[in-house]
Amino acid sequence: MTVRIVTVDRSRARGLGVRPLLTGLAITFQNMLRSLIGQHATIEFPEKKRNISGRYRGVHLLTVREDGTPKCVACYMCATVCPAECIYIEAGERPEERIEKYPTRSEIDLLRCVYCGFCVDACPEEAIFMSRENDLVGTSREELIIDRDRLVARGRLVDVGPGYRPEEHDVRRPVRIAALERLEREHGIVPGMPARSG
Amino acid sequence: MPTCTIDGRQIEVPPGTTVMQAALQLGIHIPHFCWHPDLPVDGNCRMCMVDVEKAPKLMIACNTQVSDGMVVRTDTPQAAEAHRTTLEFLLVNHPIDCPVCDQAGECYLQDQYMDHGLHDARVEIEEKVQKRKVVDLGPIMLDAERCVLCSRCLRFEREVTGTNSFEFVNRGNRTQIATFENRPVSHNYSGNLADVCPVGALLSHDFRFKMRVWFLEPADSVCPGCSTGCNISIDHRDGEIYRFRPRRNPDVNKSWICDEGRALYRRIGAADRLRGARLGRGGDAREVTLGAALDAVAERIRAARGGVGLLATPQATNEDLFAFRTLAEALGARLDFRVGDPDSRVRERADHVLLRADRNPNTQGCTDLQMGRAGIAEIAAACRSGEVRALLLQGPELLESGLLEGVAVPFVAVMATHASPALGSADAVLPAALWAEYEGTFTNFERRVQRLKAAVPAPEGVSPRWQLAEELLRRLAEPLGAASPRDLFALLAHAVPDYSGLSYRAIGPGGRVLGAVEAAAAGGRA
Repeated sequence: MTVRIVTVDRSRARGLGVRPLLTGLAITFQNMLRSLIGQHATIEFPEKKRNISGRYRGVHLLTVREDGTPKCVACYMCATVCPAECIYIEAGERPEERIEKYPTRSEIDLLRCVYCGFCVDACPEEAIFMSRENDLVGTSREELIIDRDRLVARGRLVDVGPGYRPEEHDVRRPVRIAALERLEREHGIVPGMPARSG
Repeated sequence: MPTCTIDGRQIEVPPGTTVMQAALQLGIHIPHFCWHPDLPVDGNCRMCMVDVEKAPKLMIACNTQVSDGMVVRTDTPQAAEAHRTTLEFLLVNHPIDCPVCDQAGECYLQDQYMDHGLHDARVEIEEKVQKRKVVDLGPIMLDAERCVLCSRCLRFEREVTGTNSFEFVNRGNRTQIATFENRPVSHNYSGNLADVCPVGALLSHDFRFKMRVWFLEPADSVCPGCSTGCNISIDHRDGEIYRFRPRRNPDVNKSWICDEGRALYRRIGAADRLRGARLGRGGDAREVTLGAALDAVAERIRAARGGVGLLATPQATNEDLFAFRTLAEALGARLDFRVGDPDSRVRERADHVLLRADRNPNTQGCTDLQMGRAGIAEIAAACRSGEVRALLLQGPELLESGLLEGVAVPFVAVMATHASPALGSADAVLPAALWAEYEGTFTNFERRVQRLKAAVPAPEGVSPRWQLAEELLRRLAEPLGAASPRDLFALLAHAVPDYSGLSYRAIGPGGRVLGAVEAAAAGGRA
């Protein structure tokens, strides 16, 4: 690997910095004058929110079936692919033999999450999406470990709208092909299975 | 001996060897479903097609014997096409429910499809023939849709257990495996059905939905359930053990283990594990640190010098036994291990497959290390007459046997792994680590020394038995100076003639047999 070296010449004095100071003040005054005619540079957050991309990777949500139960089948693909190891799942048995499995626990530690969206890419059931919610606050660490029911309840939140989600996703295609190949192609990352020794 | 060439590499094999076996010796993997190294060849899955020079058509590798000068290629376009079409055919009615299937990650169908598959399916999921799913067969869950009809389970039941629980029913694309009237599988080897099944058709009920297999790490070990010493892999993650799997050893257990042994993983994380030392009995019982308990035990043993009895346990590893024996010799104490005469049953079979009557993993090791010296009856008599004033037990067997009923020994110390009512009659309880928590060796019924590797850490404040003995030696005499079981084994190999020249490295993954079994049986009893 070649290392790019940037040499900065600091031997020459840079002056008193009056010119950059004036440039900055000019921008400030420009914005002040614009705001007088209603062109604000800032918004009144949190009452108003910026219009962010529909593919924004914010706080996760779990999608649901028609009966309101999570669509997730606890396959652990998201937990496997997660680079921050922030997803914890426990599986249980569902009575329907065509579904069989569901998460009895599904927690995401939002403090560890790096919002990469790999979990969304890896999901074979379109069960995990991300929302556009980005103003995440809490008063304790525990509060920001978001459990299954909160992840599901978020699915009904309409004010932020869904964020990153699979655009076209065919559930019948093997997961490894859809998600992992793309990761490898775009990021050179082969995530997932740890090497089994012996 | 015939010599053949597989993928350009030559190999000489004994007559009768199949192409599949020869390829495996070369490290070449030929995709397959129905072939299993410890089951008779069936040749029904048609997956292992290879190109044999001068043969008009592709041949199945599992049932084609190597002949001299044979030239085999496993990687020709024709063979790849055969693999692809076979897989497509198998997947016509497969539900592709990998996300909920416990086999995912160790599934032949999944793995081979990644290598040879036709990734754009031509059959719509709605058109598939639906079969029975989630059928509870006791220890096994059956999903007939995932089955590839390889008949491994049928052959296992026919050849290994002789129970014939499974049969194919119906015909054509409605063929499926079934037990008669859905009766549960009731024999002691049912767990192997989940292991032989190359796909997710037969799965373990106990392991169901517990963990995805790719998170699990295997540790090579030996089953502690009986004197057979079946080789196992302990599958663990983050200090928790999820299951035992048989580890193939053609000389001991082939690819099988019994359900009783398989269930022993629950003992390791069990709620009744001892986690701290205890001194005093009844109302005086108090929890103390391990160091304080060892100090107290050492003091009482020192006070009782000349009247000390030591009882080893055949549950301990050879390293534990050697440290314990050294302690007994340093104290000049009476030593034995034969509570309930396990050494008389060490080679006695409990069934026709694997299980043996002696449910201790290391009775033969005790015999080899000459742990049986004073005799149990003599020690019990000496306790009764007051000659033995302190007993140090390596395991709770003596307390559980009732041999000491009505005998008041002034001081009884016991190393134990799990809480039990019998421990109430001990004056000191030292918490001991279990065999999966530290390295060691067991010697099985045929005097095969086999290694165990540590899978999970022992609970806080719990020490292996060898370390407890070493700590007592440090307090009472000269310590051995061993920092690990590996050091101890080196000392053991030096001190015990039968083990001379052995080391962990020399034992290897399949174990090493010591001398002749008959000689040991003749000289075993002191």
